Amino acid sequence: MVLVLALGDLHVPHRAADLPPKFKSMLVPGKIQHIICTGNLCIKEIHDYLKTICPDLHIVRGEFDEDARYPENKTLTIGQFKLGLCHGHQVIPWGDLDSLAMLQRQLGVDILVTGHTHQFTAYKHEGGVVINPGSATGAYSSINQDVNPSFVLMDIDGFRAVVYVYELIDGEVKVDKIEFKKPPTSNSAP
Amino acid sequence: MVPSEIETLGDESDHRFANLRGVRWRLNLGVLPFHSSSSIDDLRKATAESRRRYAALRRRLLIDPHLSKHVRNSPDLSIDNPLSQNPDSTWSRFFRNAELEKTLDQDLSRLYPEHWTYFQAPGCQGMLRRILLLWCLKHPEYGYRQGMHELLAPLLYVLHVDVDRLSEVRKSYEDHFTDRFDGLSFEERDVTYNFDFKKFLEDFTDDEIGGIQGSSKKIKSLDELDPEIQSIVRLSDAYGAEGELGIVLSEKFMEHDAYCMFDALMNGAHGCVAMAGFFAYSPASGSHTGLPPVLEACTAFYHLLSFVDSSLHSHLVELGVEPQYFGLRWLRVLFGREFLLQDLLIVWDEIFSADNTTRTDEDNNTNQSYKIFDSPRGALISGMAVSMILCLRSSLLATENAASCLQRLLNFPEKIDVRKIIEKAKSLQTLALDDDVRSSALSINDGFDQSVSPAVPARTNSFPSGSTSPKSPLIIAPQSYWEEKWRVLHQAAEEEKPSPSVQKKKPWFRVKRLFRTESEPTHNAKSSNGKSEVKVSSAARNLLEDFNRQIVSEPEEANPIDVVNNEDSSIRETEEINTDFETAGEESIAIEENSSDVSSDPNSPLRDSNYIENDTDSSNESDLFPNETVKDQETRVVDSPLSISSQPSMEFPVNQSKDQETDVVDSPLPVSSQPSIEFPVTQSHEEEDSADKSVAIVKERSKVLPGKFQWFWKFGRNLAAEETRSNSGESSKSNLVGSSESHSLPQASSSCSKGDADQKVMNTLKNLGNSMLEHIQVIESVFQQERGQVQAGLIENLSKTNLVEKGQITAMTALKELRKISNLLLEM
Repeated sequence: MVLVLALGDLHVPHRAADLPPKFKSMLVPGKIQHIICTGNLCIKEIHDYLKTICPDLHIVRGEFDEDARYPENKTLTIGQFKLGLCHGHQVIPWGDLDSLAMLQRQLGVDILVTGHTHQFTAYKHEGGVVINPGSATGAYSSINQDVNPSFVLMDIDGFRAVVYVYELIDGEVKVDKIEFKKPPTSNSAP
Repeated sequence: MVPSEIETLGDESDHRFANLRGVRWRLNLGVLPFHSSSSIDDLRKATAESRRRYAALRRRLLIDPHLSKHVRNSPDLSIDNPLSQNPDSTWSRFFRNAELEKTLDQDLSRLYPEHWTYFQAPGCQGMLRRILLLWCLKHPEYGYRQGMHELLAPLLYVLHVDVDRLSEVRKSYEDHFTDRFDGLSFEERDVTYNFDFKKFLEDFTDDEIGGIQGSSKKIKSLDELDPEIQSIVRLSDAYGAEGELGIVLSEKFMEHDAYCMFDALMNGAHGCVAMAGFFAYSPASGSHTGLPPVLEACTAFYHLLSFVDSSLHSHLVELGVEPQYFGLRWLRVLFGREFLLQDLLIVWDEIFSADNTTRTDEDNNTNQSYKIFDSPRGALISGMAVSMILCLRSSLLATENAASCLQRLLNFPEKIDVRKIIEKAKSLQTLALDDDVRSSALSINDGFDQSVSPAVPARTNSFPSGSTSPKSPLIIAPQSYWEEKWRVLHQAAEEEKPSPSVQKKKPWFRVKRLFRTESEPTHNAKSSNGKSEVKVSSAARNLLEDFNRQIVSEPEEANPIDVVNNEDSSIRETEEINTDFETAGEESIAIEENSSDVSSDPNSPLRDSNYIENDTDSSNESDLFPNETVKDQETRVVDSPLSISSQPSMEFPVNQSKDQETDVVDSPLPVSSQPSIEFPVTQSHEEEDSADKSVAIVKERSKVLPGKFQWFWKFGRNLAAEETRSNSGESSKSNLVGSSESHSLPQASSSCSKGDADQKVMNTLKNLGNSMLEHIQVIESVFQQERGQVQAGLIENLSKTNLVEKGQITAMTALKELRKISNLLLEM
């Protein structure tokens, strides 16, 4: 019963002022156990804000991030799942599933979280999941001007992960759910 | 870990399961049917039923949002997502439960560190957590309070001990526990039904001790086993009633059983003592003290202590050691923190075996006493508390500051003989259940009764108002004069102990009752408080008050005053008045209950009407800070003439004659110790006058003049004044008074012929008594004023409100004077 928040590409203050208020009201401290951030926050204030929601914050470097100390890739294990994190501007073509799958195999993770396209996508691919949480502030990207703010909440419970997608469409928060079960691998205990 | 065998007296059930604490406690707490006739099957059925209830509750309340059954059929994701702010969503409930669990964990992690191997095991912790969580969810009005976990832990522990015992028995009598399917016994590896008959027969003949033959022999003789073992076997038979769910000693269902026991303990199982009440912060409904139950219970056992060991009690009170400092912990956890676990189990054995049904007495109102005394279990708990305090008696008396006293009380020594304490507690239990204690508790409760006047609770602590409470009007056959007298004296002597001031008032009550029953106007001496003469005065007062009441309520109700007027007997009069005033009286009754210490006629065992009348009257008096109202004074006026006239006084032959004198007296003040009479007189209709007069009367109080003569003289004058004054507002009233007076006067004169002795002594006593009466009447009048405002609401208010302040002051002064007088009398 671990709640993991995945978001990124906020581009504060350059392209957006702040998270939408409806999102901010939902993100109350105490419920979420981990935050994974794809990058491009860009400033330290957002980093601190995310820390208040959850002290366990994992973040990777996006091309506009002002803090150069973030890593390029990160992997972590939550429950029975291995998660991989990368901003995605390194993976060319941007947002291409096969290239991302390559990265997933390279990192050896079940769930790969990337960003940069500012577009929410979630693929089930080759026994793993590739998730793009989009832009939490709805900041424009070089490919897309009209962006809906979105982020992803993962509920990881042993071998089962439920992915909730929160999107702000026309001022209303829409929620969608994807369930994903990891097949017990052969090297797990019998 | 076999629990020590305790010889429990009484029920067959106790003997049946002497070694199985879990079963015994379940019987005592009400989880299982307690009747000694209930068979094992009944027990099994009850067990199964309670377990089913718990399982259903658990399924309903324990939220796992992952499970689809918790989510509605068409889940609206905008509501049912984890971040949803909607409080109804399953996730919100889940998070709320998680919060509660976090609080629980804080306490559970610190539970019984000395037995941590059992209590800190994750399985046990999980069970405790779930049980407490479900109970708190089921009872949101209580929520979770620290201490509930300590009540639950021993319950789970005894169940665990029982299961251990069961497994021991299984080992030693394993043959009985083999699978007796169809009455045959199968060997474990008997997969196929290949029966070697020959071998079987050989075994049968050869093998005497073990093996199949041994088993069959043993099985046949189940009934010859020790009954305890037998009951264990039958309780845990998987094929008995209700199958596996009915196995009474079951490890699988320990959580269910523990929850049921905990629930029964907290609810009190429809009995009197409900532990949950001890965790509540607000007074229980129907509570007479207006205190939260735990504080009420603390005061209760302090009260019991004062009965048993008043020096220790006064020592503690002097030091300022309030009972709730240590009592809160003692009661909330049922002494869980004061004893080691094994000792605690012994203590709880005793407490649970005490019956918890609320006693309903015919004579006493359970409402009047401390609620905790209303059941044997509650009384035992209080007795236990007191016996623990007594155990530390020497060290407590030796200390001179509150902090070290508290330290000793809070760090109860471990190496004590629990049985001795329990023995003492049992004897105290009988004392607590004794009516006298409970009735003396009434006085304290009188102060706390819910009353209209908010000021009342402050001062009530004074008088036991007698064993009958206003709430139970009873019709009691009139007793003879001398029996009543004896009773009054006896009660007066009893009341000596709690408080000196009590003495003063109590006899008055008695007296009133006395005279009411007699239906014979006996003149009230109004002299001595603690003496029989007081009876007279109180009876007189009663009569007076009856009339007062009548007059008072006149504006409120259409009284068939004429009817009243014509009655000869005071009782008839009072009855009439009572019926008239019943509605008016109800409120007064409530108030009377409160202020019985002040009022002189709180309880009338006599009749409903009398009772109610008394109530209204006492309510008038009882309000401690009422404003003097015209009404009050009116009532006083009426009362005093009545009382005086109607009561036979041994000493008032002269006075009687004086009564006949009717002078027009405008100011009641003048006199003497009988301002009471004057007081009412003056009041009658002129509000301002009455206010002034009451003030004056109060001043007058300080003078103690020997003076029945004067008193009666004034009385007579007052009567006349009353009559004259009736014109101003309530002529009918005065007429009434006049007529009643005339009635009473002849009566009084006739009765006056009795008793001429002891005049001088009586005089002084009477004076004191009169002054006390005056004070009471002042207060009464003030209260009455207020009552009048409340009840009538319409008629007198405007003018009276002006008097409120004055009335209050006078009431205060009156009370002070009253106290002085009572002290004086004490010295005498």
